[in-house]
Amino acid sequence: MPYISYENRQIQFKIVYFGPGLSGKTTNLSWIHRVLAPEVKGELVMLNTDEDRTLFFDFFPVELGQVDGYHIRINLYTVPGQVYYEASRRLVLDGADGVVFVADSNESRIEANLEMFDLMRASFQHYDWDLRTFPLMMQYNKRDCPDPIPLGAVERKMGCADLPVRESIAIRGVGVLETIRDISRMVVARFEM
Amino acid sequence: MSERTSSRAGFRELLDHLVEHGGALTALLVTRQGSVVSEAGRTGYLNTTAMAALVAGMFSATKEVARMVGESQFSILLQQGEKRHIHISLVSGDIMMVVIFEDYSRIGQVRHEARKAGEKLTALLAQPKEVRPEPEEATVTQFREYALNLIDRIFQT
Repeated sequence: MPYISYENRQIQFKIVYFGPGLSGKTTNLSWIHRVLAPEVKGELVMLNTDEDRTLFFDFFPVELGQVDGYHIRINLYTVPGQVYYEASRRLVLDGADGVVFVADSNESRIEANLEMFDLMRASFQHYDWDLRTFPLMMQYNKRDCPDPIPLGAVERKMGCADLPVRESIAIRGVGVLETIRDISRMVVARFEM
Repeated sequence: MSERTSSRAGFRELLDHLVEHGGALTALLVTRQGSVVSEAGRTGYLNTTAMAALVAGMFSATKEVARMVGESQFSILLQQGEKRHIHISLVSGDIMMVVIFEDYSRIGQVRHEARKAGEKLTALLAQPKEVRPEPEEATVTQFREYALNLIDRIFQT
């Protein structure tokens, strides 16, 4: 549910990039931050380990502008992808209005994708969110790898075949803005006043 | 509107009082999800948006640590620096109060004022929320359309 402040005339949405380690979640956020106009973006905060892996989350806000006198903001977050950071992932997911699952298209990472999807599903259950109605989309990243896995392979195996899908090569920005646009639209379309 | 938290004029007054009487530099109210509800004192030096996200994460992590040692939560976090210090207290299950101050010898005063402000905030939060008239469907549809246009404009390829 978005955060609404009537006094400050502000509505904030939270979008979280989820997915296995090294699938490109931080790369997505970094690219979006890089290409957005300075006046619409806040500082990119990254909480990393010494090896530049996400320890807790990456974060930055995007100011969309005003509607009906309300300032609309989208706060973008990533979760840490390494399996043993499950507690942190669940904390970051708290209060999300939309989720992008960034899948790694390398054949060798199919198990990692499935494992993380399963963990995401467990978190959805924890927060009582319905996978079929919650704004959730798949981004198949690294589509330039040799023999990428077929689109839809992860969610089909997990019994969620109808999720919206985008292809991307996040390191070159391919499909990155399309993904954030899609998920933002899904979140706003569901917004109830 | 479906409301998570509505900030009220009273929040700001309480924070102003806390800054003045606690000798603090800055005071913020932050939601558990990382949004700033209200702020008082000097804020020009601080990225309050990023601060709110980080404090919320810190408090959530601390709550998990508390759970691991058999506590439901730690209600106060204190960060001592060389020149500036941060006192964070949980006001309700959903709201945290952040007080930034410089003179560590005033920690007792900060704690005292933060506790008083916390009690008043809890009382404010417990008040029945103002009932807002339901907006008409046409207004909601128009709102969504405008917001979708903004999204298309900001994230254009």
